[in-house]
Amino acid sequence: MGKVIVITSGKGGVGKTTSTANLGTALAMIGKTVVMVDADIGLRNLDVVMGLESRVVYTSMDVIEKRCDLDKALVKDRRVENLMLLAASQRNRKDDIKPEQMREVCEKLKQAFDFVLVDSPAGIEQGFHNAAAGAEEAVIITTPDVSAIRDADRIIGLLQHQGIESISLVLNRLSPTLVKKRDMISKNDILDILNIDLLGVVPEDTGVIVSTNRGVPLVHNDGSPGADAYMRIARRMTGQRIPIPEMRDENFFSNLLNWFSRNK
Amino acid sequence: MNFRSIFTRKSKSSNIATQRLQLVLTQDRFEVGEDSMKKLQFELTEVLAKYFEFTMNSVKMSLKREGNSYVLMADFPYNQSNKLR
Repeated sequence: MGKVIVITSGKGGVGKTTSTANLGTALAMIGKTVVMVDADIGLRNLDVVMGLESRVVYTSMDVIEKRCDLDKALVKDRRVENLMLLAASQRNRKDDIKPEQMREVCEKLKQAFDFVLVDSPAGIEQGFHNAAAGAEEAVIITTPDVSAIRDADRIIGLLQHQGIESISLVLNRLSPTLVKKRDMISKNDILDILNIDLLGVVPEDTGVIVSTNRGVPLVHNDGSPGADAYMRIARRMTGQRIPIPEMRDENFFSNLLNWFSRNK
Repeated sequence: MNFRSIFTRKSKSSNIATQRLQLVLTQDRFEVGEDSMKKLQFELTEVLAKYFEFTMNSVKMSLKREGNSYVLMADFPYNQSNKLR
């Protein structure tokens, strides 16, 4: 029996779908069976980010309205073993699905997979409630800016109200250079404010743009800072204890300043 | 002051962001406006001022998340000169 994890943020554009695609792929690469569920009805994106858009035939709506069986609706990722996608319907609206129906789908999926990752839509309306309905755990994605953190705080409150106790944070798009210059809210300040467990930190990585263009998740190219970060997060999700490394600043001038402060 | 701080003193927008966030989240979590917060802060200060000497408006309040609930934190600067009246 697997677990259902909702990946959510409140604010849009912070990397929910990118994170779902990379964590799903990473978990499958380390040998877990994974299904990713796009819960963004009407504005589906996960199929495109995964590069699977041309192979989507059925959606979760077809399953709910009994037009096809659940296993027939799953799209298999041919690049990794045991990775599937359940796409969202593009023609329906967010309130065409009820939380109970979503819960039923998740309940069935977790019988067959180790991880059911639900990619939540932005916002705190029906779409978010549907995405969270079947989940027992939540991963909050936030970027280090005031508006994203404020929305993350609101979402944490709503999830706790719903009874989800295991909530952890992925801090996305952190720029070590800006943190050093004290022009970006630091990891510790964000943790102090939100007061939830940190699952991982993903550094700003322009490779994400290329990977989305191609429809190949970043974790397929090892060595990039973003890919390494997602691999570590996936390992932590399987229960491995992997420390969160302190970020190294690539900026020469800043390194020089550090060296001076150390050797004073 | 160390060597580094000479160069980094000017850019501290992260501090401003953190302070703004703390204020806005306290209001969000309380579900009250700035006026009520200020009033509570003022009245709290009035009570404390009966016992300690300290400057008005130096009390800082926040709601901190602790598991599934919130804890109201009120910090006020206390030092040796704040004699108990």
